[in-house]
Amino acid sequence: MPSASLVCEGFAGQAATTSVGLGMPNLPLSVVTGHVDGQTTEELRQNVLERTLDQVVENLTEQPPAAVPVNEPSPQDVVFEGSFDEVNRLFYENGWSDGLPLVPPTKEKVEEFLGWTDRDPDEELGILLPDNRRATPWNVAVNGVMAGCRPQYMPILIALAEAMADPEYGVEHSGNTPGAETLIFLNGPVIGELGFNFEQGALRDGFHANTTIGRFWRLYLRNVAGFLLHQNDKGTYGNTWRVVLAENEPALSRIGWEPLSVDFGFEPGENVVTIARYTGSDVLASAFGSRAEDVLPYLADGVAKQNGWQLCFTLGLARGTLRPLLVLSPVLAATIARSGFSKRDVKQYLYDHARVTAEKFEKYIGEFTHLVPGRRSLVDMVNLGRAPAAFAESEEPERLVPIVADPEDFMIAVTGDPLRTNAMTFAHNGMLGYPVVRRIVLPGRWAAG
Amino acid sequence: MANQDGLYSVVWPRSEMTVALGDLAPRLDTLSGKTVCELWDYLFRGDEIFPWLEAELEARYPGIQFVRYSEFGSTHGDEEHEILESLPAKLRELGADAVISGMGC
Repeated sequence: MPSASLVCEGFAGQAATTSVGLGMPNLPLSVVTGHVDGQTTEELRQNVLERTLDQVVENLTEQPPAAVPVNEPSPQDVVFEGSFDEVNRLFYENGWSDGLPLVPPTKEKVEEFLGWTDRDPDEELGILLPDNRRATPWNVAVNGVMAGCRPQYMPILIALAEAMADPEYGVEHSGNTPGAETLIFLNGPVIGELGFNFEQGALRDGFHANTTIGRFWRLYLRNVAGFLLHQNDKGTYGNTWRVVLAENEPALSRIGWEPLSVDFGFEPGENVVTIARYTGSDVLASAFGSRAEDVLPYLADGVAKQNGWQLCFTLGLARGTLRPLLVLSPVLAATIARSGFSKRDVKQYLYDHARVTAEKFEKYIGEFTHLVPGRRSLVDMVNLGRAPAAFAESEEPERLVPIVADPEDFMIAVTGDPLRTNAMTFAHNGMLGYPVVRRIVLPGRWAAG
Repeated sequence: MANQDGLYSVVWPRSEMTVALGDLAPRLDTLSGKTVCELWDYLFRGDEIFPWLEAELEARYPGIQFVRYSEFGSTHGDEEHEILESLPAKLRELGADAVISGMGC
């Protein structure tokens, strides 16, 4: 069916590359000058009628030139032979590199990685948007080699590729303008077996497994999903990939809390990856006190402050998809736990106390951002059945409302310096990177090592 | 690893695309008398832009009809998968001749 796609001027490039993945690289666009948000009503109307309107007519009535097929190599083709520097230059020039030196993906190295999975190299693990390319153990191994991973990481890399392809995660949104970055959580015995850092500096580069698997994620997004800057990746700023966050399971065991993976339905002791995208984070330093009642008010305050425009994923743009994250150091988690608080109790506390005024909530999703057109109030949303009753317990603008739809929407992880009373909170990107979990399937040779 | 000459034979880090190159639908000879459906992601001022386009297109093309975006729901939100899956059948049911979709911003 003939179509006209309305895009702001700065997004024409992204639309052009996205349409390649749809098999329609000649899909016509109707461009709106500048960005709509900064224009007066009259400026916008004038721009639309003087430029966009004619393009809409042209898009619907004039046949675009036929698309020209582009020949690509087959996945296992040797595409180049050269020195280390020459390989790295070629990969950089073709957009296959993150700019850091890559380990050259020779067939021998790839085969070494494939030796650490029982999966067929060509098995389809999923389809990755926006490029609509197949995720396979073969290309997982290729990108794992390039990232500097060890072959033994393959079971984790495959689980990550499967998670990336899960529609609930929403990988196609990974190029959105807030530029959120994925955080990979790890649970299970592989943490110790592969030497992940789960203590001090848990989110700093410097430990091989945490660092290279984090790098793999971004390379895989680039090379298989198709997220390249100035093309499908429209992050206004973006940030560098995050290293893997491994939970401190021995500490969790000591305080009697279950790991994050158990919150998602897995058994304790299972090897599991969890992924979710976060727009930013902050440290809540020096939580002072010897009881949960002492430290939780500060943590709740910090969690609430970290969330602003993201509240549109609680109500408005999407409903109930905001999953704020609180990472506790082991000593802080122990302080809370010894007051009798379970993780569920902490989530309930955050639901009850990490709150903002209704007026502020409405400004974040309406007046400040226009992310929810029509400026519908929280009371209206409740009355229309589009929000839980907790958001309209009165009509008082200063009433405090939750930042999530349900207490279980909060996520809690325990890692970091075991003996420092700090925490970290992350603002989540809602449905544009919803948490997804995958079991890590180890190969038969694992026990033999 | 490098061969004896210090060279690396490297493979492609990407993979095959699963969508074949398609032909775009034939364009319309005129918009007069045609049914144009509006799809909106409920973002970036589409609620202002679509009415302006409607008014100007109605003035230029007699008999053009529009199906408002509200008929379809938001193409970007927690229901987007369901809405996009139902779209082909819905467009056929509505007798759509063309689509204007926005806003990519």
